[in-house]
Amino acid sequence: MNAIEITGLSKQFTGKHMIKIDALKGLNLNIAAGEIFGFLGPNGAGKSTTIKLVMGLLRPTSGAAQIMGLDVSRPESRYNVGYLPENPAFYDYLSAEEYITFVGTQFKMDSTLLEQRTEDVLIRLDLWDARKRPMRGYSKGMIQRVGLAQALVHDPEVYILDEPMSGLDPIGRALVKDIILDLKARGKSVFFSTHITDDVEKVCDRVGVIVKGTLVAVDRVESILRSGVEGYVIHLQATEAESLPFAGIEALRRTESVSEYYVPCSGFNAFMGEVNRTGTNVVLVEMKRRDLEDFFLSLVK
Amino acid sequence: MFSIIQTTLKGVFRDRVFQGIMALAVFFLFIPSAASLSMRQVTELSITLSLSLISILLFILALFLGATTIWKDIERRYTFSVLSLPLSRTTYLVGKFFGIALFMLLTALFLGTVSILVIKFSSVLYPPSRPILWSTIIVSIFFDALKYIIIVAVAMLLATVSTSFFLPIFGAISTFLAGTITQQVYEYLQSQSAQKAVSDVVRNAAKLFYYILPNLSGFDLKVHAIYSIPLNSSGLLLTIIYFFVYTGILLAIGSILFERREMK
Ligand SMILES: Nc1ncnc2c1ncn2[C@@H]1O[C@H](COP(=O)(O)OP(=O)(O)O)[C@@H](O)[C@H]1O
Ligand SMILES: [Mg+2]
Repeated sequence: MNAIEITGLSKQFTGKHMIKIDALKGLNLNIAAGEIFGFLGPNGAGKSTTIKLVMGLLRPTSGAAQIMGLDVSRPESRYNVGYLPENPAFYDYLSAEEYITFVGTQFKMDSTLLEQRTEDVLIRLDLWDARKRPMRGYSKGMIQRVGLAQALVHDPEVYILDEPMSGLDPIGRALVKDIILDLKARGKSVFFSTHITDDVEKVCDRVGVIVKGTLVAVDRVESILRSGVEGYVIHLQATEAESLPFAGIEALRRTESVSEYYVPCSGFNAFMGEVNRTGTNVVLVEMKRRDLEDFFLSLVK
Repeated sequence: MFSIIQTTLKGVFRDRVFQGIMALAVFFLFIPSAASLSMRQVTELSITLSLSLISILLFILALFLGATTIWKDIERRYTFSVLSLPLSRTTYLVGKFFGIALFMLLTALFLGTVSILVIKFSSVLYPPSRPILWSTIIVSIFFDALKYIIIVAVAMLLATVSTSFFLPIFGAISTFLAGTITQQVYEYLQSQSAQKAVSDVVRNAAKLFYYILPNLSGFDLKVHAIYSIPLNSSGLLLTIIYFFVYTGILLAIGSILFERREMK
């Protein structure tokens, strides 16, 4: 069974002056059990709209979605989900501990287990010292961490996180990556949105890119990275006088003893053949590739 | 459901505005001295003033809590985190309502206790001409609380569709005013003189309103309490049944509307 199944999901908003906004257009997407999926898109692409539809906060204009085989129009579908809203807000008159307990109770957790899990997640997210204080006095980063804690407390199978790294300092970001990798190791499914490619590259199995409400690409992160290799920068040991073109490729830069050549993938064999024939020493070979960021930017444009 | 009720109650008790409203209860302390200025019927006046003060406080609380709780949850974006939990919108709405209704009853209990002390104090200093019927006073406060719980339900129903708190607040105030006089208007329209003076269209429209709007006159037992008039128990039972049916219908409509509402 897939963790999340989205079929033909569309959402149209009616904005000011009755203007129709197609926030999401016919999205088809399946997230397999145990998969970490990064939902990448620029601001306003429709990421949060998709997530709110899946969480039953918005009603689709057309299409449907299921979580662990249950249609999202049913509240029971959310028993299997830990959800972190975008820029979350929680009852600010409650303390983190009270709120996490409230959430666990909604998931019908047994009270001793809930107590133990509450303690675990509060410590894990570095909220232990602040746990008794009302959340009114929390910083943005702390609220974000409460959001993660309340998504983790009932140890669900599926995690839907809307920009989990936003509002966090580098330590917090590293912690979130750690948590996601940990969930992956335990066979959980994670669907998270972000506009930062680096987040995706480090933790995801697959990535989907959404632009203006349309899913424009879905692929495994490794194959994007592999297909992104464009060429090599090769440093040869050659004085300025010796640095001739090899296989028709001119040196990019020359220093006293080393010359640098840029060689596209297709010309690599011919170039190296000539280098070997002339007996020139190779100092360094660097791979030049488009990273996820370039891939992402090329799709968005 | 229970944890929603509990959370709602915590929210009310920790709210500054509520604490401010409750501070108005200090006016109780002035009732005996204010009443004594009248020189005669001091105890009757104390009862009147106490019951009126309770009504005013409960009315303000009903408007404030009924109109703002849901609106605040939406406005502050708490609904994203709460409504994405595996609970239905109906559970959320009804849980909130029970939390507030419970709070109204607790407040009525507290204010009622204070007012009984105040009335007792007045009656010792200025013995009344007729014996005080304490049970009638208590019943009258209880029915007053029920009346304002209906107003809470009206405000919450309006809040399920409204994006601001203006509609719930002013809608609830209008409903309260109309609901207080609806019985009198109805009775007038049934009278001989009205049959001639009022056209059929107006009379039918007024009748329609009579059935839609809450009929709050049955909940007003102040006169009984002040002048120690015995209560009619079958009338009270009917009023209680009316209370449950009417709030039940309001909540049912509110749930249907709120289930359809989108959290944007
Ligand atoms: N409530 C709304 N009313 C009208 N338009 C909306 C509403 N919510 C989102 N949109 C529009 O839908 C598009 C997608 O928004 P969103 O899903 O929030 O983007 P993302 O999360 O990818 O940044 C945007 O163009 C946004 O302006
Ligand atoms: Mg977003």
